[in-house]
Amino acid sequence: MIFTIFKKELKDTLRDRRTFMTMIVIPVLIFPIILNLFVGVSESYSEESATKKVKIGIVSEGDNSISKELKEIPKIIGEKEIITYKDTLSLIKDIRKDSIQIGLFVNSNFNLHLKEKTAAPIMVYFNATEMGMQDRAEQYLTIIQNNAKRKRCQELQINESELNPILPSYVNVASDKEMIGKLAGGILPYIFIAFGFIGCMYPAIDLFTGEKERGTIETLLTTPVKRWQILFGKMGVVVLSGLLAATCALVGLFLSIEVFKLVEDQALLSIIHSILSPSFIIALFALLFPLTIFFAGVMIPIAIYAKTFKEAQSIITPLNIVMVLPAMIGFFPGIELDLMTACIPVVNVVLSTKELIAGTLETKFLILSFIVMIILAISAIFFSYKRFDKETNVIQ
Amino acid sequence: MIEVTNLYKEFILSKQQQKELNTTDKKSIAVNSISFKCEPGKVFSLLGPNGAGKTTTLRMLSTIFQPTSGSIKIAGIDAIQNPQEARKKIGFLTGSTGLYGRLTPNELIDYFAALYSVSSSDLKERKDKLFTLLDMHDFQNKRIGKLSTGMKQKVSICRTMIHNPQVIVFDEPTSGLDVITAENIITLIRDCKQEGKTVIFSSHIMSEVDLLCDDIAIIHKGNLLYNASLEEFKNQMTTENLTTEFIKIVKESSNN
Repeated sequence: MIFTIFKKELKDTLRDRRTFMTMIVIPVLIFPIILNLFVGVSESYSEESATKKVKIGIVSEGDNSISKELKEIPKIIGEKEIITYKDTLSLIKDIRKDSIQIGLFVNSNFNLHLKEKTAAPIMVYFNATEMGMQDRAEQYLTIIQNNAKRKRCQELQINESELNPILPSYVNVASDKEMIGKLAGGILPYIFIAFGFIGCMYPAIDLFTGEKERGTIETLLTTPVKRWQILFGKMGVVVLSGLLAATCALVGLFLSIEVFKLVEDQALLSIIHSILSPSFIIALFALLFPLTIFFAGVMIPIAIYAKTFKEAQSIITPLNIVMVLPAMIGFFPGIELDLMTACIPVVNVVLSTKELIAGTLETKFLILSFIVMIILAISAIFFSYKRFDKETNVIQ
Repeated sequence: MIEVTNLYKEFILSKQQQKELNTTDKKSIAVNSISFKCEPGKVFSLLGPNGAGKTTTLRMLSTIFQPTSGSIKIAGIDAIQNPQEARKKIGFLTGSTGLYGRLTPNELIDYFAALYSVSSSDLKERKDKLFTLLDMHDFQNKRIGKLSTGMKQKVSICRTMIHNPQVIVFDEPTSGLDVITAENIITLIRDCKQEGKTVIFSSHIMSEVDLLCDDIAIIHKGNLLYNASLEEFKNQMTTENLTTEFIKIVKESSNN
């Protein structure tokens, strides 16, 4: 009987255009869209920074030797053009208008300071809303500074290395996979969890509140099927819809990589391939399964209680934030799966997935997270059953 | 056969409901110890104004609601002890019954037949018979959401009858329907009676009652005010027609 109800509800659900969109179409498209945007924006940004000529305005009260030094800096940092200004007012005005991007004010004592071997002041103007301009200015000044330092060391007959007592070398022992897992690995489970939730939402409302609103529940309850069987048949479809939405998001990710070839960097591609292994997908779904049951178990009592589709929607939609917001914890580097976080629903799934991607997952915490989610899923089923068994909740 | 003895149903009122009903009572009595019998081959009508307790009574008969106390027997089966078995004998139809708009009549009938565990040979035979009788062949594969009210009503009738129930419960089956569509229901009730089925229906349309009923019961505010055959009712009438007599009984009860 449960399967008969499940089959019918699934057919009914898949024929609902709204559910079909949120369950299949949007999840499939989300990764291609995000990756396309990401690749497009980063390509155009790097292309723009490589080709964009930076105009540097200089107000020099001295002999303007800084202009000469700037011109000698190789083009590898980027194209540049030096423009001489008479006063800082027009220099600032032009930076604001984006006619020039960097402004330097060199006062009359600049060369004197260099000659007397004291620190020569230089004022750097830039517009912080123009991305990367402060970095570019720092790069130019570091080169000028190093040149001046080298010259001064020669004049003072000092070995330059004597001024740097320590020469640190930083070696990153984390693998690329680990780096991606720890720094960006939170995004992946977040998207799966968000779609798992959204995927459950419309079927839960449609199969419970919708049935009540349309007046079909009454006839269903007069059939010789036990209430728990009706609940399980319907709940099965709600859970499947959530998992299907998450699966569609995963399919979208595969399509982006394998069909649309949105990731061109071979090194990154091989890391992604190693992350999306069959064992990762099995472990991900093993965690998503009880989580989706938990989502369904939270939504179903609300859907049973609500009298109209609108009422159910208005309660469940804000719940989205409460449920999915903890998933954002995975975005923060530093928060890791431990005894405490493994006991927090949603957070444990995100962190487990994140550690799974990074390849640093400890089995005991995975098992603990799984047990916590199973307990919650069972409680949610029990709570849904209690609600569905209450006759005044089911009938309008 | 339906046998109802001392059927009693009360609902717990929430704070909101107490406010709406302007009462401090924590409970509301919907049906107050009513007893009646509906016999096979006869049509029993449950009459009463809005809020009398008709729908609650019929929902208890169809096992949607559990009575607070009392007993119900459907075709000899105790509906409270064994609701699953009792449901197999019942066909339930209300005027407000909705249908699954995204399914076709064919799919819907197959679904309900499966829920009632109708064998595939019986399903084929009954579906063919009912589709012919109700002239449903032309629209059997169209989505229900795209059908007219009359067509939908035919699908509802077919759904109610697909498991060949012994007892049919109609809750204001013609409410909101036009005369032509309501005629399908009237015909169905007559056919059920001829086939020896037990029919109970609630209504407040006295012309329908006059046309179809053998026995009547009048309930008001959950209490049974009258229960006898329609013939007896007509014989003891002190007013000129059924409607005025019905109103008189209800008003007298309110005054008492």
